[in-house]
Amino acid sequence: MADVLAEGYNVFDTAKSPSGTVKYLESPADVIGLIQSGRLAEHILLVQGGTTTFLAPALSMGAIGVITMSGAPESHLGILSREFQTPCVMTAHLTSSESRYVVGNTDPSHFEEIAKALDGRKVRLDCTDHEVGRVVADD
Amino acid sequence: MTALASDKTDYDVLNTVALKKMATPQVVAEACGLPRTEVEAALDRLAAQGLLVVAGGAALPTDEAEPALAAAAARRYGAVRADAEVGGLVERFETVNSQFLTTMSSWQQVDVGGRKVANDHSDAEYDDKVIARLDKLIARLGPLLEALAGHDARFGTYPARFRSALERIDRGEHEYVSSPTLDSVHNVWFEFHEDLLRTLGRERTE
Repeated sequence: MADVLAEGYNVFDTAKSPSGTVKYLESPADVIGLIQSGRLAEHILLVQGGTTTFLAPALSMGAIGVITMSGAPESHLGILSREFQTPCVMTAHLTSSESRYVVGNTDPSHFEEIAKALDGRKVRLDCTDHEVGRVVADD
Repeated sequence: MTALASDKTDYDVLNTVALKKMATPQVVAEACGLPRTEVEAALDRLAAQGLLVVAGGAALPTDEAEPALAAAAARRYGAVRADAEVGGLVERFETVNSQFLTTMSSWQQVDVGGRKVANDHSDAEYDDKVIARLDKLIARLGPLLEALAGHDARFGTYPARFRSALERIDRGEHEYVSSPTLDSVHNVWFEFHEDLLRTLGRERTE
């Protein structure tokens, strides 16, 4: 079995299993830059929050997959990802780390660790399980 | 920044672009109730200040847009923030908002034996119940929207947009429940929530 790098909530079951290089997006400018680069479809997008509302243009422009480090499938981003049928793993944590997201009490180092481990990695999303979404190494 | 705080057109136009994340001049004009030429002039001014960029015919907010709007909102909306009636209604809104998000998810997915599966909308009775719940939740926003509209007429546009979406849903256009590309109930709600938070200077919670 391929190496599972991270796991989180699977926002919706889908046989779609997008593959791409993880791109960590920290700001609206990152999203604009990615859209303007014309390379949106090459990337699985990683963002910190489920309330990261600046991701919406990327979803409407054809993002292939999303990973968040916080937030719930019932959030705005979860609702949007189901509408666009964009596979999405929310509140992902690294399988190699004990660190977990806790609402209102998460050290920035938690997010930095995940971003460092995943940004630039070639991965595939496995969203076939009805609860757990998986980020699988694809390099 | 001062211009944004004092110029209602520029504030409303940038606020609309920030709420929609990406919007054509026509969409902004309709949302703000302003002539398109006026909106285009405002978009040019805002782009020159580095607050938005135009890509593919649509305006997108830059990283500077949110802080600029937050600073302008702090100057513009002191009276709203001090309004005890608004404060009380906003506290109740948080509960309604959670119920709304859950209801919206129940429109998209149904529980089958403990497992969430996509709602194929074959069960009209189930769908009607969800729509009725949305209708009630929207009605519960009424007093808050009215109180806010007393401070800024912009908030008076939301009831009309909700009404328009609900009328379409009543006519069978169910994509007006949650479609992200239409002025659906979900989009209007989401924009209102963001607008509310910015006006009050609050952060979104997870």
